[in-house]
Amino acid sequence: MGKILFKAEDTRLKSEASSNNLMQKGFRSDRDILKKRSAKYVELFSSLDTKSLSDVQGWKQLMEAVYEEFGTAELENLPLGIVSKCFLGESYEVHILDLSGSQIIAHFKAGEAMPNDFEKARTLAMHNAYAFVEVYSDKLVLVRADGSAVKL
Amino acid sequence: MPEVSYANLSEIERALTAINNNIATVNSNVGALSDIQQTMAYKQDAMEAELKQLSEAFADFIAQDAKHKNLQLAETRIGNLRQELQIKFGYYAEIRRMATGILQGVDAGLVGNETIKSSTEEVMIKAPGYWLAPALVALASWVRDDRPTCDQAISESLKRDDYKATLFFMLLTRRLGRNDASLAWLERYFMHQNPRDLDREFITVLEAIATGVFHPASRIVMMKNVKNWLDQLTQGDQFINEQKNQWIKYFEASKPAVQSDKYPLLKQYAKNWVVLENSLRTAKTHEILNNHFSSIISSGQDFSTTVKAKLDEILTQLVTNFDDEELPLQKKVRLNQLIIDKDGDKDAAQAMLDAEMNVFQEKVDFLQMLTNAAFNPEAAGVTGVTQALAVSISQPWILEAHDTFTAQSRKMFPQTVELVIDGFATSTKDGSDEKEQLSKQDKFYMSELQKGLGSVTFPMAGILIGALVGIAGFIFGLVGGLISLAIGGVMIWNNLRSFKNKKELVRTTIEGRRKKAREVLRGCLAETVDYRKELAIEDSKAEAVRELLNSITPQDFSSVSQEIARNIM
Repeated sequence: MGKILFKAEDTRLKSEASSNNLMQKGFRSDRDILKKRSAKYVELFSSLDTKSLSDVQGWKQLMEAVYEEFGTAELENLPLGIVSKCFLGESYEVHILDLSGSQIIAHFKAGEAMPNDFEKARTLAMHNAYAFVEVYSDKLVLVRADGSAVKL
Repeated sequence: MPEVSYANLSEIERALTAINNNIATVNSNVGALSDIQQTMAYKQDAMEAELKQLSEAFADFIAQDAKHKNLQLAETRIGNLRQELQIKFGYYAEIRRMATGILQGVDAGLVGNETIKSSTEEVMIKAPGYWLAPALVALASWVRDDRPTCDQAISESLKRDDYKATLFFMLLTRRLGRNDASLAWLERYFMHQNPRDLDREFITVLEAIATGVFHPASRIVMMKNVKNWLDQLTQGDQFINEQKNQWIKYFEASKPAVQSDKYPLLKQYAKNWVVLENSLRTAKTHEILNNHFSSIISSGQDFSTTVKAKLDEILTQLVTNFDDEELPLQKKVRLNQLIIDKDGDKDAAQAMLDAEMNVFQEKVDFLQMLTNAAFNPEAAGVTGVTQALAVSISQPWILEAHDTFTAQSRKMFPQTVELVIDGFATSTKDGSDEKEQLSKQDKFYMSELQKGLGSVTFPMAGILIGALVGIAGFIFGLVGGLISLAIGGVMIWNNLRSFKNKKELVRTTIEGRRKKAREVLRGCLAETVDYRKELAIEDSKAEAVRELLNSITPQDFSSVSQEIARNIM
């Protein structure tokens, strides 16, 4: 009997947990998506170079900044990655910071194709008006140096 | 026997002749018959046409008759309806006339207290359900300083129709210059408004506040309410996104027309010219928008006179328009009047009535109203002041829309100019790589030359024939051999000369093409440099628009309009 009761309890807890999950995964208002990015976050991602990423500490710091900025560590609500101008050398155009698990930085030369989701951000990432572009599966969010965001 | 045969033949001949004659008769009869048939067919056609005419005339007649009957019916009905209206609501019309009279009298200070008193009290008794009756009593008691009656009458009026009474007293107190009272009524008026479903006259009231026709303190009341509404409406994305999309469409529609001949070579040789041109046109929109918004927010004209007239118009309408109670009857009267006007055409009259009714049922949400006022103030029936107010309140989503519009156009900007000149395809980013491009083009023509020369074949057959001819003569001895050798030699020489000529021709043709194409390429690259420069300049103007939009806020606007208000007061 006790066992059965425990089981019932268990399912209830589970369903509650899943509904919470749904709420978090669900609709996000444009106002949330377009909220001004913090100066710290913008600064960090505008000044990305290979050096800061070479050591583990740099990575950790970056990911923490991302979690803090979006108030969550749930991958569904985070950008797939961030595309920005690359200053490695003249032939390099842009780089991707891939946040979707693999967490790597990749640099791309002019004419070199980027992974599918990211290619659409290329032109805008190269435009001087934007500091960087957050790439989501269903949208792009362009972030200006002052932290203001534009959804596309 | 021979006699018999003779007699028999003549008989048969006669009989045949007779038959012949008969056949001829039948023939002629048949001919006559077909003539008759033809005549009959003609007659039938004529009859059919006449019948058709007749049926048309008949249908016309029926339609006319129906219209005529409709007309007669409408004329009879309108009389009856008017009588019914007179019996049921006749006094309403009288109250309206009286209200107009009292308002004019109060304005001019001409009507005596006693006159007003006696006439208004009578009104109360005769029109038990009409809100305007106690409103008039309130007005009359106010004129003669009878506060208890005034309060009672006001509360009765509000009980009968809160919205109309509020609007009435708000407009009236404004007209009479009672600022405190007007402000209190204004606050009540705002409470009546639902930001998702605003009344038609709201925009005029907003305009009156914006232009300073109401007391300056009314602006604070307005801003407080507007802020609340915005908080309500902007909680979800739906209302804002609707307006945002309209603004984006508006920006897209503001694109300037095509500027035809600034980049003639690119137009001719750039494969992606359509995108290049479209990008430039989109970028050029920013300057237009900058001018547009600057002119809206800097307009400081005094519109108060027209606004005052409009407010009075609302008051007049309020006082003269029919009450909800009489509306069904009034609608019937109007329909019958329209049937008479349309000479009995019922459908046309109904369509017109529907259109008239719709105009009065039009309701909009607050954000849509702002957008209408900002896009097309004339059509929305507002002046530049309300347009500026609308823009300043809508500023957050105008800015968002402009950001999106700008980003969309920037995303579309082509990274390269794709040129195809005389079969040579190349792409340049900004036209600054002339040296590389020219050397690439030279290489292209080198290979063209190789190909061209390769296609000119060596005349092996001709030379062989020449050689054979040259040798063949020796069969006839030495002299013959020498002659044929000369002939063969000439043949071989001719073949070789024509081969050389052909090659020369290929060389000069390709060199000619190369020279021409080189000039075109240099021209294209020069135009690309200019194009990129112009595109960058026009595109950077987007940031200016952004700054301008960022600088507009409702607070700023109210300080501007308070200037205007002070000038008016």
